[in-house]
Amino acid sequence: MIEIKNLSFARGNSLILRNISLLINSGDIMVIKGPNGKGKTTLLSNIVSFLEPIEGTVEYDGQKIDNEIASRKFLYIGENNFAFDNLSLKQNIDYWLSINNVTFSKEITKNSIQFLFDELNLDKKYYQLSFGQKKKLQLLLLMLVTKETWILDDPFNGLDVESIAKILTLISKKRENNGTIVIATHQDLTIPDYKTFFLR
Amino acid sequence: MIINFFKLLINEFYLMLKGSVLSLTLFSLLLIASTIFALALRHTSLGLEIPLAFLWIIIFFITIIKVEKVYQSDFSEAKLQQYILSPFALEIIIFLKNVMIYFNLMFFFIIFSPIILIILNIELSYLLQINALLSLSLLSIVFISSMTASLTISKNNKFSITSVLTLPLFIPLLIFSMAITDIIDFNGNNKIYLFFVAYFLLNLAFSPLLTSFALRKLSV
Repeated sequence: MIEIKNLSFARGNSLILRNISLLINSGDIMVIKGPNGKGKTTLLSNIVSFLEPIEGTVEYDGQKIDNEIASRKFLYIGENNFAFDNLSLKQNIDYWLSINNVTFSKEITKNSIQFLFDELNLDKKYYQLSFGQKKKLQLLLLMLVTKETWILDDPFNGLDVESIAKILTLISKKRENNGTIVIATHQDLTIPDYKTFFLR
Repeated sequence: MIINFFKLLINEFYLMLKGSVLSLTLFSLLLIASTIFALALRHTSLGLEIPLAFLWIIIFFITIIKVEKVYQSDFSEAKLQQYILSPFALEIIIFLKNVMIYFNLMFFFIIFSPIILIILNIELSYLLQINALLSLSLLSIVFISSMTASLTISKNNKFSITSVLTLPLFIPLLIFSMAITDIIDFNGNNKIYLFFVAYFLLNLAFSPLLTSFALRKLSV
């Protein structure tokens, strides 16, 4: 359970988030919506403790979220690419799995890649991928890294309809397993019973 | 965790190999700079100290540039976010990256050093000592440079001038390196090498901590 209490955040002199309170239970899908520049990414960054609020707290199961809790509980996929341009796809997958302390299983990885991409030459360099394929490669971590909570910043940006449907399937499965998902997006989800929080 | 640590080590090594083009370019520039230096002072007897001081200053700049470039690409905001959420401490990732930068630079220096010594008219009998001296001082230079790089690449650093604050940490290295070159017989003064080992250990204790602190607080 994630509980945000009276959270305010400022960058320099500009107040971005003012007095935000929000409760996200285990098994919830929480969609954060709002116009551009209203602080959706900033709110996610505060939840995963990348940023520190000027006021208020963010707690996970009653404990204030610090780096240790964040690294154990959260899988964060941001809006920017984190893969290495000069490495091949296989090397990139291998690298980010080792960073997440996941033992590289060829079978599982192959199945996951097949689910998301249908067909993909793993010897390709990362820079040779299209924008949507790059996004999907990042989202591959959702299938390979096991963490209780997913924090996803604009995960559908650049994806085709079919890929969005696949990601939504993953999200539904995660909820079935009592996982928590927090998504910042402009898109309406085709999943039943998700909660929405508007930033104005 | 240990298996993945070694996998990470191998992956970092591979990543560094991919970034070797920059090192090659920088060391080629060192060759050109050495040639110009030697040609410009061809009528002057330089002794050992001046060419070595020149070599050290150029190596110092090469290291700063290399570390900064690696940090710029490897610690972009999106990558840093993943590193912060990794089960491996950010300090360990920084340590691995620094060690790989060190090996990369040392590899090129070992290859280039005989040519550079010939160009700078330094006796080749000093080759081993110069390589030993550089291998010790380069460790500290890389770790101090990582602190400088973490401050210069940070987007939230309101006081960019703070990166200059790390520069005095290089001074003891330069002073002691030059002090060694004053002593022609390197073999008789092994104790002075201990300074470099001690200084590196000091940097090893503080540099990854300070670098990760700066990256965490200023770059996300």
